[in-house]
Amino acid sequence: MLTRLILKNLTVFSEAEFVFANGLNVVAGANGTGKSHLLKVAYTIAAVSARGEKDSGSPVPTKSYLETAVARKLFGVFRPDELGRLARWQQGVQRCQAEARFRKKPLGLGFSFDTKSETKVVIDRLPTKWEGQPPVYLPTRELLTIYPGFVSLYETTDLPFEETWRDTCILLGAPLAKGPRLVEIEQMLDPLEEQLGGRVLLQDGRFYLKTTDGKLEAHLVAEGLRKLAMIARLIATGSLIGTGSLFWDEPEANLNPKVIKQVARTILQLCQSGIQVFVASHSLFLIRELDILLRFPEFEGVSARFFGLRLGEGGVTVQQGNTVDDIGTIDALQEELSQSDRYIEAEAK
Amino acid sequence: MPRIHEGNLIFDFPSDWLAEKYDQWSFHIHHFQQVCGGAKAIDILAVNTVTCWLIEVKDYRRGCKTTALELADVVAQKVRDTLAGLASARVRGLGTERQAADACLKCADLRVVLHVEQPAAASAIFPSPINPANVLQRLRQLVKAVDPKPLVVDISASPKHQLPWAVK
Repeated sequence: MLTRLILKNLTVFSEAEFVFANGLNVVAGANGTGKSHLLKVAYTIAAVSARGEKDSGSPVPTKSYLETAVARKLFGVFRPDELGRLARWQQGVQRCQAEARFRKKPLGLGFSFDTKSETKVVIDRLPTKWEGQPPVYLPTRELLTIYPGFVSLYETTDLPFEETWRDTCILLGAPLAKGPRLVEIEQMLDPLEEQLGGRVLLQDGRFYLKTTDGKLEAHLVAEGLRKLAMIARLIATGSLIGTGSLFWDEPEANLNPKVIKQVARTILQLCQSGIQVFVASHSLFLIRELDILLRFPEFEGVSARFFGLRLGEGGVTVQQGNTVDDIGTIDALQEELSQSDRYIEAEAK
Repeated sequence: MPRIHEGNLIFDFPSDWLAEKYDQWSFHIHHFQQVCGGAKAIDILAVNTVTCWLIEVKDYRRGCKTTALELADVVAQKVRDTLAGLASARVRGLGTERQAADACLKCADLRVVLHVEQPAAASAIFPSPINPANVLQRLRQLVKAVDPKPLVVDISASPKHQLPWAVK
């Protein structure tokens, strides 16, 4: 579980420190302020830390493995031409650094590279243990419809997609969870399946929604609902049960407000069950829905942090706190107010 | 019963309250308004022994010039300037204004209320030209240190918030 992330000279960030909640973390900001970059770098660290033991074969992290693994993951997730392209874009050679701290682990993981680096990453801080469950990254679009054959194609050809898509497709294809977690899984799935009108089914490499009327191909399910279906599938396979983490880029994309309401509730239910959730959003509606639900007694135990990103002359600045009131000016809110003014002016003509 | 006329609206406060049109105070107009190149003032101060309410009134039915975008910021600035003005009036003011400032600053709680009246709904996609929730969210950010739960109300919303005064 990530507790802190420090970035120096990484893409739009000159220097930024993020203190995360165990539960919900909401990142707000206009386009180009680094919301997705923040999610991706945090995901990269979480993914490398979680898969290290299996991939390296070593029970403890080693510098040599992490140097290769972090560099490969950064390439896969961000897809730059060269690694140095991820360093902040300014004159002269810049050293780009990222350092993450984890809960109950004193050292954390830190790495750096400079603008001239093509592939090489230096490990500045070596963790003493691997992390547990692999994280889940949900991109802005749903993946159920591209799932058939996607991982094979990704592994055998040079597809220009971000590696997060491949990682998530692998998790979507995992077998259904069994054993003592089933009761918890069913409790989490019930409200989602009610919203979906059925159960998500993987058959012959394709996803379906199994309803009382029969099977519906994922392509024929409303696009907004496919996102909920992805979450349902990841819960059913155990990827979003227990102590993992979810990075969700613009959950609101392609969803109507009714579904966004359900998404907000699902996000908090995941937090409540022990998943650390990171959400990047433009949607005032979603951010408000989360803010409203956090005041409900049922989500009293969910810790939350809000982050406001703003582009300034010296790079992106961060305002953060435990409530949405702590993140400074919210661009989406200002735009709504500005729209009110334009409407009033138009009415007066 | 203390009664305040603000534009076309009439505010009736409980009989044991003190209610003042702060922006009409002699101390504000002749002295404090010039502080630091210009201090703003909230419309109404209403005080019982426990709480001092700072009430700003905006009536868009009468062509209010404050834009929606700047509304919360304007109110927050008025709140800040009014609190500074009260501190000054308490020691430099005269007569009833000095007493009222003293009563305000002796209160254990400060509340901020923005009373906004808007034209009747003209559009399905803009039931209220200015969404009160938008203004409230911005106002809450700005006056958190004064009142973490400010209110944005209109005539119809006042009973819902159980405000202890009546508006007509």
